[in-house]
Amino acid sequence: MKLALEFDHVTKEYRSLFGRRFRALDSFSLQVYPTEIFGFLGPNGAGKTTAIHLAMGFMRPTSGNGRLLGEPFGHAITRRRVGFLPENLALYPRPAEELVRFYGAINGMRTSELKQRAGEVLEMVGLEDHARRNVSRFSRGMLQRVGLAQALVNDPELLILDEPTSALDPVARVGVRELLLKARTQGKTIFLSSHLLSEIELLCDRVAVLHRGRLVRLGRTDELLESYERTEIAARGINPNGFDKAPDRSSWNFGQDGIARIVVPREQQRDTINRIWDAGGEVISVVPLRRSLEEIFLEVTSGADSTRAGGVE
Amino acid sequence: MKPVLVIAINFVREQRWPILVMLLWVLLLAFLGLTTEAGRQGEDLLFVFKQVAVYVVAFGVFFGSSAIFNDRRSRRILSVLSKAIGRKEYLTGLVLGITLASAIYCFALGVTGSWTLGEAGFPVRQVWFLMLCLLAACMLAGTVALMFSTFLNPFFAAGATAATMGLPFLLSHTSGNAQWRLVIPVNALAAAVLKSSFDAPATGSWLPIFLALGETCVFWFLAARIFSYMDIAVSVE
Repeated sequence: MKLALEFDHVTKEYRSLFGRRFRALDSFSLQVYPTEIFGFLGPNGAGKTTAIHLAMGFMRPTSGNGRLLGEPFGHAITRRRVGFLPENLALYPRPAEELVRFYGAINGMRTSELKQRAGEVLEMVGLEDHARRNVSRFSRGMLQRVGLAQALVNDPELLILDEPTSALDPVARVGVRELLLKARTQGKTIFLSSHLLSEIELLCDRVAVLHRGRLVRLGRTDELLESYERTEIAARGINPNGFDKAPDRSSWNFGQDGIARIVVPREQQRDTINRIWDAGGEVISVVPLRRSLEEIFLEVTSGADSTRAGGVE
Repeated sequence: MKPVLVIAINFVREQRWPILVMLLWVLLLAFLGLTTEAGRQGEDLLFVFKQVAVYVVAFGVFFGSSAIFNDRRSRRILSVLSKAIGRKEYLTGLVLGITLASAIYCFALGVTGSWTLGEAGFPVRQVWFLMLCLLAACMLAGTVALMFSTFLNPFFAAGATAATMGLPFLLSHTSGNAQWRLVIPVNALAAAVLKSSFDAPATGSWLPIFLALGETCVFWFLAARIFSYMDIAVSVE
């Protein structure tokens, strides 16, 4: 299978005027498959934007190589099949429709085709009523939507989006989310870098977490979020006063409905269930606890898990 | 070819205010030619024409030295070069844009010069040839500046361009060999305008024009080679 995006042991070092080196990416390997929505996470300075800029050919790797839609990074013709939205987008000051047509024309699109397409993409991002307004008068959120429109104008196979929803209000964010999900159903691949972990959690099939230029976590979103370390047991018919909660490390919560929700470490699951039965209680459910992406993100970037480097899935 | 043209037209559009300021000089020439005493004193009018003419070379250097910097500083270059356009084509678009901007000025000056100098009694057959000399000089000066601006900031790029253009003149002056002026013939082309008397029949040589066009290609190639190795996403500040 031809990969949508591939980094193969890519290292990127920046050098200062005085020869000091800073390694932004360190032997970074990653594979993005066609038609998936891939989330790319990491704290500020982790190397996410550097990786994206390398993929787009804005800079060259110090070592290693990579491929974009099967062609080496920097291959101009391949970018005709790619849509890119940079972080901190800057646009030429002119009417939105004209601007989208300008970017389409640079991509070699025909004028007749562009006229129709520019209107379509502006409608997709909800700017059809502002098509003739100069973008220099747009709010940051509107600018970001024009940025999305210019990324979509060439109907790309691969969308590389660097913080696409950071300036959007919740309504616009939902709109962009729907747009991206629709793009996936049309067979497009989306590579999404974002700080908005809830967005990534909702949208992405797989996620990678980058920390200090190294890949520290990579996997399917649902698998990463599912924790096999803790379980929530729901039970009823237990008398909270007469039940022996100690000496485990569990957390107990007796609700108004008479149902007790007990979160226990996995190794204490069997013992806790036995004790519920011994006390005359009834177990309603036993569910592995789901973690949030935020918890995982904090865990891997705080150093606790930073030894799990390397592109392993 | 279309993306190159789009970049060129975009460049002219982005530089519309400097171009308009340049055209004010042409208007000044027309004003002098029509309304003042200078218009009736041919030599003064010729002096103003020559002065106004050579300003365009300085504008060519200004355009060339700041073109890439402006796009990089504003980060607009990222959304442009994320499209199916190579860096070589992007630079070609900028060279074409600089040439277009200079051509607008040269054309306006040619029209105004033909008219006002003709009114003052000068034979104006040479005017369009001299405008061609100026355009070739602008193209070369702009491309040299563009080449330097791929790795220097605009101030230093303009300085390096001035030194590069001035060196052949200095060598010809010190060695007494006029052929040095043909190495980077910006000076020779500007001198053709400055030394033109308009009294004699047209005697200008096409050689510096052809050399300027050839050297423009060489400097464009150098610029493209250097620019292909630059990390364009790195801040230029």
